[in-house]
Amino acid sequence: MDRRDFLKFSVIGSGLLLSGKGYGLSSPLKNFYEAAPSSQLSKVEARYYEKLPDREIKCNLCPRFCQLGDKERGFCGVRENQEGKYYTLVYGQVASYNIDPIEKKPFFHFLPGSEAFSLATAGCNLSCKFCQNWEISQMRPEQVKSVYLPPEDVVQTAEQYRCPIIAYTYSEPVIFYEFMYDTSLQARRHHLRNVVVSAGFINPEPLADLIKVVDAIKIDLKAFTQDFYSNYVHGELQPVLQTIKQIAGSKAWLEIVYLVIPTLNDNPDDIRKMCRWLKAEIGPDYPLHFSRFHPMYLIKNLPPTPVSTLEKLRDIALEEGLHYVYVGNVPGHPGESTYCPNCGKLIIERYGYIIKKKEMSGNKCRYCGQVIPGVWS
Amino acid sequence: MKGSKVVIIFSPKVLSPTGIPDPAVILRMYRKGLELLTGASRPEEALKLWFKPQDRIGLKINTIARRALSTRPETSVPLALWLGQNLGGEDKIIIWDRSNEELKDAGYKLSTSPGSLKIFGTDSRGVGYTAEPIVHRNIGSLFSRIQTDLIDASISLAILKDHGIAGVTAGMKNYFGAIHNPNKYHDSHCNPYIAELFETDLIQGKHRLSILDALKVQYHRGPSYHPQWAEDYKKLIFSTDPVAADSIGWKIIEELRAKKGLPSLQEENRAPLYLFTAEKMGLGQAKLENIEIIEEEV
Repeated sequence: MDRRDFLKFSVIGSGLLLSGKGYGLSSPLKNFYEAAPSSQLSKVEARYYEKLPDREIKCNLCPRFCQLGDKERGFCGVRENQEGKYYTLVYGQVASYNIDPIEKKPFFHFLPGSEAFSLATAGCNLSCKFCQNWEISQMRPEQVKSVYLPPEDVVQTAEQYRCPIIAYTYSEPVIFYEFMYDTSLQARRHHLRNVVVSAGFINPEPLADLIKVVDAIKIDLKAFTQDFYSNYVHGELQPVLQTIKQIAGSKAWLEIVYLVIPTLNDNPDDIRKMCRWLKAEIGPDYPLHFSRFHPMYLIKNLPPTPVSTLEKLRDIALEEGLHYVYVGNVPGHPGESTYCPNCGKLIIERYGYIIKKKEMSGNKCRYCGQVIPGVWS
Repeated sequence: MKGSKVVIIFSPKVLSPTGIPDPAVILRMYRKGLELLTGASRPEEALKLWFKPQDRIGLKINTIARRALSTRPETSVPLALWLGQNLGGEDKIIIWDRSNEELKDAGYKLSTSPGSLKIFGTDSRGVGYTAEPIVHRNIGSLFSRIQTDLIDASISLAILKDHGIAGVTAGMKNYFGAIHNPNKYHDSHCNPYIAELFETDLIQGKHRLSILDALKVQYHRGPSYHPQWAEDYKKLIFSTDPVAADSIGWKIIEELRAKKGLPSLQEENRAPLYLFTAEKMGLGQAKLENIEIIEEEV
């Protein structure tokens, strides 16, 4: 499907695909066996790289610092050295898109009840064995179906569906940085907000530039041990912690998600250490979501996370003084809702992605006037 | 008693002045290599040791570096046709790599016609990868359906090259082109990933023979082509032991580097340690003292 077809389809097919508003919609992934030829990939010069002798390059986008010869791609699989120049192959190459409630990201303190035009390209700079979106994140761009949707068309589509937010999500937006950045700039000109759902494995310089053009970033903190990052993520913990601190010190809103995987990263002592670190480094007010794991991709031998584990970890975080701690992927659980840390009253009641009740006046608790941090309007 | 045998065949006439392999000479090199490898009186007899009459055979080649440094058609097609003549038909032979575009860039004319030699990439319509990942140790990948469904036996016909990350790329690493996500397995100098991928039933269980294309060897700054560090070496290397074949490949690269005054891979901290991992896993011999080398000129 090309750009023209997409826009046409978006209009005439609104009753089929996009008007479902994110609830149980099918993915537009192409049959994998009919992948598009790579000649249809983008060829836009990448940012944050340096040229080396003998047509080699060094990528400075993420902490891997991939050093690549001609025709080689980085770990992400979407950035390629072509005769000494580094290109992103996924600029505008949207492999998945949808309209999602913002709660699905999840953002609980960012325009609750809003809808986000959500998109992703193929690729990721990590390789989590439990990836929930591996069918796009662990693929090269030529291995998935994409539609060409340049920044202006993303913005136009978001406006067409009255989405106040564009979400860069599903795979790993860091690896489609240039596309995300340019789209965010255009979206701002149209008074749309930009949110990013990322694992935070990015270098400080590109992150500093990104923070200036987006409004909120959700970081998937995969664990609080390097062992887990080495064995299950193919990454490093410290750069992610640096990212969290950098976002918290900026104007962008931050929320943190921790996917709890039974026996692998659910050690209460590690969780307590993590909560202490969060409180000490960024304070108690950024939401922390403990999400339920479901067997996926390469880890199918473990059961879904027991709800009791999520509750126990939430209790630890609250004991350690974090103010907004949520339970995720358990529709109807009381831990999905927001409680005022001052008076203890329920101020936002959620069921899954649905807001059932909101007892706030502007950014304050309606009962006691406590300011609730977040972006509410 | 040496544990594994590696045969190296040299021909001073194999490359034209412009570096194009001569198919007739290439075929003589194959025949001599297989003869010496097995001790068979005729090379055609050697084939019966590895292939059953009904086998569909894949020649996994390496075309990532375009025509200048890929397994050339002049090298692979004579082998494929000869295999076809002696094993019940050329239509049972597939020359393949991951993409049609790379095959074409390397000079191949794609072919899927019934009754003839097949040449196509995993990204061909109707081929693709397995629908679900196959997990083995640290490997979790979709495998090319050419490797899983369309062939019964495999020859790794790989280019021998220096590799900036792995140290050496040869017959074992060639199978990175059989999975959808090789970019995820270049950490730690591709160790233990190359060995672990080879150990899977889908690779090890079908692999019959390693033939390293050392007609032109990129001994520095690989895997890309840099003519100033590429040597017309004019040799083919044969072994049924995939680890031994690649270990001899490593030895050759080190010898060429030393000859040109370059530091060893060890000194550059990128020795292909995956070969020793492979040896520990029982996949073959990595230590040179355990490898018998037979060299001959045709």
